Amino acid sequence: MEKLNNSSEFGLIFKYALKDLSRNYHKISSIVITLFISLFILSAIFTIEDSLKKELNDNAKALLGGDLEIDYNRNQGNLDLVNKVKEFTIVSQMIEFSTMLSTTGREKNKSLFTRIKTVDEKYPLYGNVVYEPEGAYERMQKESNTILINESLSKTLNIKINEQVKVQDQNFIVIGIIKSVPDVSGFVAFGDWALAGKQTLEILKLNEIGSFLNYEYKVKFNEGDNPEEIEQRIENIFKDDQKVKLRYPENSASGIKRVINNFSQFLSLVSISAMLIAGIGIANTLLSFINQNNMSIAVRKAVGFFSGNIKRLYYLQLFILLFIITVVAYGSSFLIVPIADKYLSDGLGLNVYPLFSFLNFFKIFLVGLLVLVIFSIPTISSIDQVKASNLFRNVFQNLQFYYSKRSVVISFFLLSILILLFTIGSEQPSYSLGYFAAFFVCLIVFFLLSKLIIFFLKKFKSSPIISLKVSIKNITQTKSITPITVMSLGLGVTLLLTLALVGTNFQREIAKSIPDIAPDYFFVGIQKGEKNKFEQGILNMDPNANIEIVPMVSSGIVQINGVDPNTYIKPDNDSYWVIGSERRSSWVENPPEDNPILEGEWWDLSKPDQLQISLDAKVAKDFNIQLGDIFTLNVYGREIKGEVINFREVDYRDLSINFAMLFNPQFAKNIPHEYLATTKFNLNKFDEIEMLEIMPSLSMIKIADYLTKVTAVLNKVFIAVTLISAVTIVIGLIVISSAIMVQGKVKEYQNLVFKILGFSKKQIVFSSLIEFIIIFKSVILISIFFAVIGSKFIIENIFELVWMFDFKVLIYLGFSIGFVTLILIMLTNLKYLNPKVYPLIRNQ
Amino acid sequence: MSTLLKLKKINLQYKTGKENISVLKNIDLNIQKKETVSVVGESGSGKTSLIMLIGGLEIPTSGKIFFQDQEITNLKEDEISEIRKKNIGIIFQSFYLIPNYTAVENVALTLELNNFKNPEKEAKHLLDRFGLKNRFNNLPSQLSGGEQQRVAIARAIAMKPELILADEPTGNLDTENSIMIVNILFKYVKEEGSSLIMVTHDPKLADKAKRKIKIKDGKIK
Repeated sequence: MEKLNNSSEFGLIFKYALKDLSRNYHKISSIVITLFISLFILSAIFTIEDSLKKELNDNAKALLGGDLEIDYNRNQGNLDLVNKVKEFTIVSQMIEFSTMLSTTGREKNKSLFTRIKTVDEKYPLYGNVVYEPEGAYERMQKESNTILINESLSKTLNIKINEQVKVQDQNFIVIGIIKSVPDVSGFVAFGDWALAGKQTLEILKLNEIGSFLNYEYKVKFNEGDNPEEIEQRIENIFKDDQKVKLRYPENSASGIKRVINNFSQFLSLVSISAMLIAGIGIANTLLSFINQNNMSIAVRKAVGFFSGNIKRLYYLQLFILLFIITVVAYGSSFLIVPIADKYLSDGLGLNVYPLFSFLNFFKIFLVGLLVLVIFSIPTISSIDQVKASNLFRNVFQNLQFYYSKRSVVISFFLLSILILLFTIGSEQPSYSLGYFAAFFVCLIVFFLLSKLIIFFLKKFKSSPIISLKVSIKNITQTKSITPITVMSLGLGVTLLLTLALVGTNFQREIAKSIPDIAPDYFFVGIQKGEKNKFEQGILNMDPNANIEIVPMVSSGIVQINGVDPNTYIKPDNDSYWVIGSERRSSWVENPPEDNPILEGEWWDLSKPDQLQISLDAKVAKDFNIQLGDIFTLNVYGREIKGEVINFREVDYRDLSINFAMLFNPQFAKNIPHEYLATTKFNLNKFDEIEMLEIMPSLSMIKIADYLTKVTAVLNKVFIAVTLISAVTIVIGLIVISSAIMVQGKVKEYQNLVFKILGFSKKQIVFSSLIEFIIIFKSVILISIFFAVIGSKFIIENIFELVWMFDFKVLIYLGFSIGFVTLILIMLTNLKYLNPKVYPLIRNQ
Repeated sequence: MSTLLKLKKINLQYKTGKENISVLKNIDLNIQKKETVSVVGESGSGKTSLIMLIGGLEIPTSGKIFFQDQEITNLKEDEISEIRKKNIGIIFQSFYLIPNYTAVENVALTLELNNFKNPEKEAKHLLDRFGLKNRFNNLPSQLSGGEQQRVAIARAIAMKPELILADEPTGNLDTENSIMIVNILFKYVKEEGSSLIMVTHDPKLADKAKRKIKIKDGKIK
């Protein structure tokens, strides 16, 4: 761009920019819509994400439950050390466990696997417990056999206040309903849970493994104390205790953070798609707009406007437009915050508030500016092609995207800034970077495809059908806009297909019935001496029940090959859970049928005195474990070294018994253990309450209930994904229609000549149809390929669900999108199909 | 000579906002086969509108047009297209060539539309006849005004139409090219026996036609 000469010149340009904008804004309505939608998505994502992160940071201590958490996992830990901490801080003890909670006194009682948190009078150290009725929480602390349940549990079992429920062999009175607790990070966000006083522990029989016991001590520092010093003192106290894990506020709500981060990543990719595809739409619409105005551009040049000034005129119009749209889009994004707040407070117990951030506004404006400039450079540069001499030669000139060396360099520079902006700000920079790379690979592939189509069609010259011949000529002609059409259509269709495939995979996950091999129930908490009693209890109710019962032991990985396991994996890795806390493991004689060995051999019977480990292959891959590596396990306080001798493929989704680690039974059978069982019933006679009477400490998880909860969560995510996708799809459709608009002027002119020469409307429509079919047929194949890869990546890596290739769905989607696109293209073409002769003949 | 074209009480009005503009008023006109007619008049008198009505590119507000004794004012758009395709060739002041088609392709298009066996061969033959042998594969933007108009004429006469409509065919050309174009046009009409209706501002050119019609304020004088 040339430099402005002086302020009066700028004033002139500004005056004409405003004049042009006020008169032509309706002609660039699709730029306005695309820009608004994409900036609105971006604004909404920035606003909600920011608010959510602020909520998490502001409430980090409340979410953790203290300034620091001492986690002893399954046992109460070293109380002497805890008491030392109590000397200079406030310590609140809480114990979480899972067990069955049942209704009583009804004709048909019901029970549910429930997480119960016993808390002392100091709880909560930060934040508030919201409950009803008034005074219920204080009653729970003072009176034994009282309990508060959460709203979900109350609804599921239809329990009213003052109703009596049974936990193991003890009766409790439900004295209130909890609306929320501050430390949601310690809870299952979507589950059924209850609060009870610390005295509850004394009256229940809890076992270490089956009850999923967890001992935690929340610590609050005294006011005025230096937090860093206190943290250091506490770390020193526990430095020799290997069983303890100290957590800090920044580690709080890691589960929720991970969910939010994953979703943010998806939103980030959607917003990049929206912005980039909107950019293509803008480029097309702008080219069409400049084509419509090429006569006035030629006249301006003829009266002495510099080409650079005319370009500046267009850039200025875009800049003014962008500023107004950014303000409106950013302002509108606050309107959806209340919806997000309702959604998040229901699901995660978090609240978001609309927060104005100048930095966010600037970022959105900057992204918009970069996209607008990057994609309008080749379009506005085409103004150089308009020659004032055209006015004398009566030649209609269809403009093309134009790249000079300088504009290519500027585009690359601006693109790099855009990529950096998205990459640095994202949770998974590699995903964002990969996405940009994939986007441009798609663009190049579609460009090459267009060249290939032209190459092949040029060879196919003779056709008796005039419409076909015209279509082929349109596609293959010199300065054909086929590459623009193919790239725009290709990216638009790829976006539609990808989002549709993501949606259908979500739907399938939601609608999926319980796997055939999945059991009906999981049973935990079967003690060593209760194995026969359990089996007999089940068989008495259903003699043909299929029972699978396996030993279970709890152990933690202390070292891998003699070093801290944390050196092998980062906390954000999918498999970090294996070392995050103690894990339950089992042992079997023969390889499980649904756990095929991928590498290594089954147990070496010649070494019965040595612990041998069979490891989940995915875990091994994530940790970079090799066969022969040595794990040091802490089993009930005793450190045992074991060698990894094989890797198994474990599919946790089949809901059968699966363990990350299996031990060789010859060695493991002497370790103190309890049992885990699954049962598939043939008769519908199983009665949970009756089973609890036989074994009061038994915990039962009904798979159908579990899946209902998972489905409920998925449904919420699906709604969010669908809404965002639907908005983005609008952009995709606008882009497709903009690809037609680019050739609008030339089409209109051409159709006029055809009409004069005697072409029938049918022939003109037919030639447009053939042109679309030729291009769409080629595009859809490539689009399907990219969409399959894209949707698989999103479903598997971002949502961590199972992606499935469904040919029928793909065909259905392909046809549906083809049909919608065809209708859209024909509708866009409609105004060009039957041009009015008079205005054109009169050069109007 | 028998009648090729008959216009009966033709009126044409355009609506501009709330205002109705009468472009043509009560036009009665007969054109015989092989007749050459020039239409003259001031700018805005309705000359081009008359050509557009005859060519079936506009529909009169009232009145009837008969082409070869068939009324075309009540026909559907495609039916008029069919008549135009076979029987009427139109030449414009602004040429109206398809910008992305070469000279040969522009001419061949009409022939292909009428299912000619070797459209390109015939198109080349015509262009050769008009002195454009070396311009077969040039795009309109690579041709001079005179050359473009010769291509446009070749396209208009390719189907040997009964009627040629020419709207100021030399309006955009210099004297030399104008003379060349007029000679080509009249020579062709004479040789092939087509009728010609030519709108022009040029009195010399108008005099070349057998009959001269003057239009003023939408009426034939």
